[in-house]
Amino acid sequence: MINLTIDGRAIQAEPGKTILEVARENGIYIPFLCYHPALKPIGSCRICVVEVKPGPPRPLPACATYVAEGQEVVTTSERLTAIRQELMKLVLINHALECPICDKGGECELQDLTHALGVPEVDLTAIPATSPPDYESLLVERHTDRCVTCGRCVRLCRDHVGAMAINFMQRGYFTELGSGLLPLDCEFCGSCIDICPVGALINKQFKYRARAWEVTKTEMVCPFCGGGCSYELHLKDGEIMRVYNGETALLCGRGRFGWPVITSPERLRTPLVRVNGELQEATWEEALAAAAGGLKAVLEEAGPGALYGVGSPRATNEANYLFQKFFRAGLGTNNLDNPGRLHYVKALSALGQVFGWPEVKEADGPHPKPPAYTSPFSVKEETKGSGFTFVLGSLEELPRADAALILGADLTPELPPLGWGVNAARQKDDFQLVVANPRGTKFDRWATVSLRYKPGAERLVVAGLMKALLTAHPDLTPAIPAQGLDDLKESLKKFSLKEYASRAGVEAADLEAAAAILAKAQAPAILFGTELLNQDKGEMNALALADLFLLVGKPGTPGSALYPVAEKANTRGVCELGVLPDRLPGLLPLDSPAAPAFWGEHKPVQTPGPTLLEVLDKLEQDEADAPRALWLLGGDLLRWLPNRSRTEKLLSKVKFMVVQDAFLTDTAKLADVVLPVAIHAEQEGSFISSTGQLGVLKAALGTDGVLPDWQIICRLASALGVPLSYRTPAQIFAEFARQIPLFAGLAPRKVVGRTGIPAELKGTFVLFDLDISLPGRRPFTLIIGKVLQHSGSFTTHEPCGTLVVTPEAAVSLNPEDAAQLELKAGDKARVISSHGEVEAKVALDPLLPAGVAFLPEHFAQPAAQMLTLNSNLVRVSIQKA
Amino acid sequence: MILPLIKGLATTLRYCFSKPITLQYPEEKRTPYPRFRGHPELVINEDGSRRCVACTLCMVVCPSNAIRGIVPAEGPHHEKYPVQFTIDLTRCIFCGFCQEACPKAAIKLNNLYELAQYDKEVLILDIERATQKKPEMRAPDWL
Ligand code: SF4
Ligand code: SF4
Ligand code: SF4
Ligand code: SF4
Ligand code: SF4
Ligand code: FES
Repeated sequence: MINLTIDGRAIQAEPGKTILEVARENGIYIPFLCYHPALKPIGSCRICVVEVKPGPPRPLPACATYVAEGQEVVTTSERLTAIRQELMKLVLINHALECPICDKGGECELQDLTHALGVPEVDLTAIPATSPPDYESLLVERHTDRCVTCGRCVRLCRDHVGAMAINFMQRGYFTELGSGLLPLDCEFCGSCIDICPVGALINKQFKYRARAWEVTKTEMVCPFCGGGCSYELHLKDGEIMRVYNGETALLCGRGRFGWPVITSPERLRTPLVRVNGELQEATWEEALAAAAGGLKAVLEEAGPGALYGVGSPRATNEANYLFQKFFRAGLGTNNLDNPGRLHYVKALSALGQVFGWPEVKEADGPHPKPPAYTSPFSVKEETKGSGFTFVLGSLEELPRADAALILGADLTPELPPLGWGVNAARQKDDFQLVVANPRGTKFDRWATVSLRYKPGAERLVVAGLMKALLTAHPDLTPAIPAQGLDDLKESLKKFSLKEYASRAGVEAADLEAAAAILAKAQAPAILFGTELLNQDKGEMNALALADLFLLVGKPGTPGSALYPVAEKANTRGVCELGVLPDRLPGLLPLDSPAAPAFWGEHKPVQTPGPTLLEVLDKLEQDEADAPRALWLLGGDLLRWLPNRSRTEKLLSKVKFMVVQDAFLTDTAKLADVVLPVAIHAEQEGSFISSTGQLGVLKAALGTDGVLPDWQIICRLASALGVPLSYRTPAQIFAEFARQIPLFAGLAPRKVVGRTGIPAELKGTFVLFDLDISLPGRRPFTLIIGKVLQHSGSFTTHEPCGTLVVTPEAAVSLNPEDAAQLELKAGDKARVISSHGEVEAKVALDPLLPAGVAFLPEHFAQPAAQMLTLNSNLVRVSIQKA
Repeated sequence: MILPLIKGLATTLRYCFSKPITLQYPEEKRTPYPRFRGHPELVINEDGSRRCVACTLCMVVCPSNAIRGIVPAEGPHHEKYPVQFTIDLTRCIFCGFCQEACPKAAIKLNNLYELAQYDKEVLILDIERATQKKPEMRAPDWL
């Protein structure tokens, strides 16, 4: 600790902090303009000047001067006021001063500063520098005549978003913010809007709709992806005005601009019931009676095993917990799963094999009456944690990694916050990045080594990396006790490094360079995404990465962790809450001694139920124990399961299907009863983000006919003779949190496994297969994946804001491939696989290697899953349509 | 004793022959002083367009919540203007704060004082009725 005085007040501060930071922490006001807590200080505006003794005779910028022992800081004096006022006058020369129509009016830092510094008038004149406002750009409007050239937006976009879309043009007095005289062509994240101190960057969705002081603010967690960003929802008269993040400013486009989707006219507002083969509108009573009747008939005829449930990664923890409670405590079966089966569950299963499933022993509690959404357990000295949860990283520590391997993920579209984390990490000089992806991605630009491997060759890349590592460092020992290293070494002998490299389509030297980076790193992070998990051998891919992390990772060092992408808002939560056929809430095994708590009157069933994919096989083979009824808690199976025509055929074999969804999805169209659910701020509840953070949704909007999932489950379960009744979601949270010691110390914004539980880790190297063949002879390998502006199909409904940026899906091709096929951008192409074909517009993408094509999965058309068999990779031929 | 009586009579007589102070209202109307504060109204430009840019400052400053329901819109040239604007004269206390707060001189208190009505609804002015018909002070005969 450092002792200093500010304005005569004795203050203790941590070393390495700036005077401004310390002053702010201690409630001492120092005006500033170019500084923002989320950015590195540049000290350019000099509004924050203070007198520092000992120091030079001139005042110093508080935002860029570090505290030192014995410093005496004076924040207000005549000289300082004069300097600040003079600077403000320079800022205000020719400032537009259109506060009445400027959306920033009322929350404008320039207005506040002018007041605080008592700038009497601007007695300076300069020739007017007028550049017209930019009304052309999508979603963001730029008024350069209001810009104070603080550079916050430029730094944010460059250093944190990584888009580098805006910069200053001209020099001196004529400096103006620009993007090369063209409208913005960027990620459209809108983060620059929230960091701008003035009204120079304006949110078009908010423009002229409300004044800053008219809105009521609700703290929310973003429902669009597994990033778990929190933001403020601003409402006026019960209508959403905007999404705002004043804290870090960072949000992605779908989080910031996607909210209008909740007002979509396509939303279901009344329940639907199938009458004479047609879905017809019904009241809630009728629909619930119909659903209960249909399910009861099946249950009575074929027993509790005849009903299968699919939980939802978009539903809250509370809804998912009740859902599994209905199946376990109500019916006494393990017949449930969640759509994460296609990707995230594979990662969990691999991690479970290598690091063990999570377990927390000796947590203190349960204490009575914890606050809402807070675990009743706390961490005490004897508390011990083990298992993979403790090697999964949090977002907060990612910037502290000193090396990162991003494999099989186009990081920003998959999970923007991981991208921001890596960007923050690369602000450190010693940070080194390895990017491995069949396609070029944004992060290649900053990568020390880029590995462009053949689609599907992830395991060869990882094996090659391990081979190179172990060759260069034969006595490399894992940081935690590990078994099976010798077997792994043995299995790696299958090929030489050159062979690994050539089979994967990369250079052996690059593998060696990447391995050297990982070997040297003190805190290496490994990030991987659904692109690699979605493959049929996704679990093998995850195993390979888990092995690699066991080999080079430094668990316990902040930043050194695994970051698998859990795609949707609650993909991690739906798994942690036990909507799995083989795991109970808290990821407890079925034979756990704590199991009886989850089974009510029933005896715990120790045999796992069938997985979602096994259920489909059972339906295909007309097995006797194939489910006859399905209860889907959202999730458009037709859209997400590979091989759509097969799924369609199999789902039609199901006798009775109840679907809860916000939209009439293709799967819902096959249902017998469709129950419309509340989304976004229409409901309360909690999510667990991809990086384990607990986010709490608040009900801020009216529900307009729909019901939250948890209420529907309560009512339907009760009608089926399983009485479930709760007053609030917080009550449900309290119930399950009492059963889950893994959540010890968890509270809103806290991270599962990062609540101070000391972890005892050990690992086992598990061998993975190296067979990467992709069946078929067609010339192109098509990757089906995600694009930045969309989250599942959620954001593809008008009037979602991001639809103006990416209104439709196009199949991307390397320009040379396209030229050979005589296709130009915008042409229609037929994409044909051995299972089906779709027609799609062509887009050219020089970042794609030859022979690889890419198709986004989000849109109804082209229906990407028509092409696939069991993986997101498929061989296709492409022709002009 | 008699002297005061004569004095009083003289005063009475003097007033009998001077101009009367009482106004024969409502036949006769009084012209208010220039700074008289009548009720607020939206000012228009020479071309008939409203000056208001829907900044809502008048609404914020109004101590009696007489101004409400300002709904802004964006014009073809990105200008901001109100499409709804309510002045509730049953609440207005004629303080003139709105006029003072308005950065566009778009709301002014006119010189109307005959505001009594049988029906309160008449006193709740929508944007059309709250707007001047001519770009000048309104004459006291419109309500
Ligand atoms: S940026 Fe601030 S000072 Fe400038 S016009 Fe807008 S509100 Fe007024
Ligand atoms: S919207 Fe995002 S990507 Fe675009 S300029 Fe602003 S910060 Fe950069
Ligand atoms: S646009 Fe805003 S954030 Fe960017 S430099 Fe100008 S004032 Fe600063
Ligand atoms: S990154 Fe994900 S959680 Fe964050 S704003 Fe975007 S969609 Fe929402
Ligand atoms: S203060 Fe003036 S410009 Fe603003 S809303 Fe009121 S009348 Fe309109
Ligand atoms: S805030 Fe310190 S120099 Fe701008």
